[in-house]
Amino acid sequence: MTASRTVSRPSAEELVVFSGEDGKLNVLDAFCRHMGGNLSQGTIKGNEIACPFHDWRWGGDGKCKAIPYARRVPLRARTASWPTLEQDNLLFVWNDPQGNPPPEDVTIPVIEGATRDDWTDWVWYTTVIEGAQCREIVDNVVDMAHFFYVHYSFPTYFKNVFEGHTATQWQKGVGREDARPQASQSGVAKMIGNTSVAAYHGPSFMIDDLTYHYEDGDVDSVLINCHYPISENSFVLQYGIIVQKAEHLPDPEEMARKMGDFIKIGFEQDVTIWKSKARIDNPLLCEEDGPVYQLRRWYEQFYVDVDDVTEEMTERFEFEIDTTKPNEARRAEVAANIAARASS
Amino acid sequence: MTTHRPAPRPDVRLDDGALERVTCTTCAAGVEVRKSSWEQTSIQWHTDALGACPERRASSPGAGPNATFAGCTALGDAIREAAVRGSLSVQSGEALPANPEGTSH
Repeated sequence: MTASRTVSRPSAEELVVFSGEDGKLNVLDAFCRHMGGNLSQGTIKGNEIACPFHDWRWGGDGKCKAIPYARRVPLRARTASWPTLEQDNLLFVWNDPQGNPPPEDVTIPVIEGATRDDWTDWVWYTTVIEGAQCREIVDNVVDMAHFFYVHYSFPTYFKNVFEGHTATQWQKGVGREDARPQASQSGVAKMIGNTSVAAYHGPSFMIDDLTYHYEDGDVDSVLINCHYPISENSFVLQYGIIVQKAEHLPDPEEMARKMGDFIKIGFEQDVTIWKSKARIDNPLLCEEDGPVYQLRRWYEQFYVDVDDVTEEMTERFEFEIDTTKPNEARRAEVAANIAARASS
Repeated sequence: MTTHRPAPRPDVRLDDGALERVTCTTCAAGVEVRKSSWEQTSIQWHTDALGACPERRASSPGAGPNATFAGCTALGDAIREAAVRGSLSVQSGEALPANPEGTSH
């Protein structure tokens, strides 16, 4: 790839993404430090990007490598550059307001299916959300009640664990008969349910390891749900899907597209709510709601300097709902309960 | 961006029933627990308890990109036992649900 393009990021800064002859992807401040030319409109020359204004050449390390009309490059001719990671056919950019390199223990994990021949390629969707703060989408990770209404799934098991920089959600669900992609999957057996392990690795990148259970076998898929803020009240939402080419699945690519379209409908329903809702910092919750406060306490660690991250934000917290247990409850437990209460 | 961010608040539901300490019968680690119903359990771990948990130490990362320690089964049993015994509150106040008389279990 030798094309370059502009990506907007918080504080209305713009970035340029380019790769030179060495094939490495680089991310720089889009505006040339010389006179402000937009490098995303420039050209690739060797391993550098050349400004369209005066042809200043910038390397992926942020250093000015050459000025064709000058005898020498000024000392300290540098622009801002961002560390990048290429993995699973995705490009990650590390943004640290304190300017530190990415610590090893926060690296996004590898998604095995993404580079396997027996899985589909990524199907990606990008949408700009105006009039909503990106905290709204993160809240979804604890919001059980909305699964039934928005995602047409009925969870029988639900668990959240927040620890360190990750927030995980386990879910076992039964598809609602009235609305699910299984109804439109011609030639595919009836879907019995799904198992999902979804985790935020940091504030904005969620991997959902999602398995659909059909009468004739399982189909594995991975859904990425990620975002970056543009301002306090707008963000870019992106989601991508890969599906395992299971033998009993006639058209995995079609399934990936259908899942994408289905998820898109779900997000659009969320967005409609977000655009007209108020920001609630002290939600009034009933006992059946998820751990919204505890999630926000975890989320707060990404809005303070690293030195100000407290144990309270990163300590392990678990929230579990198991609706299968009551049916298996042993009568012995009841007897013990009665005995214990009688003796107290 | 210099926007005012309110400090994280405590869960409003704690006003109706606070976290209660439960000690694991296996490793004696103490955690804070709240059950809103027989089906629901919240556990607040602290660093010392996590360090004391043998299941945590023995756990392998597991498979898949989100592999992580799902929880301690011994602690889960201790919590359930405490709730059944009545030493841990269940906020819903309902009796322990059980299979109806005469069904197999």
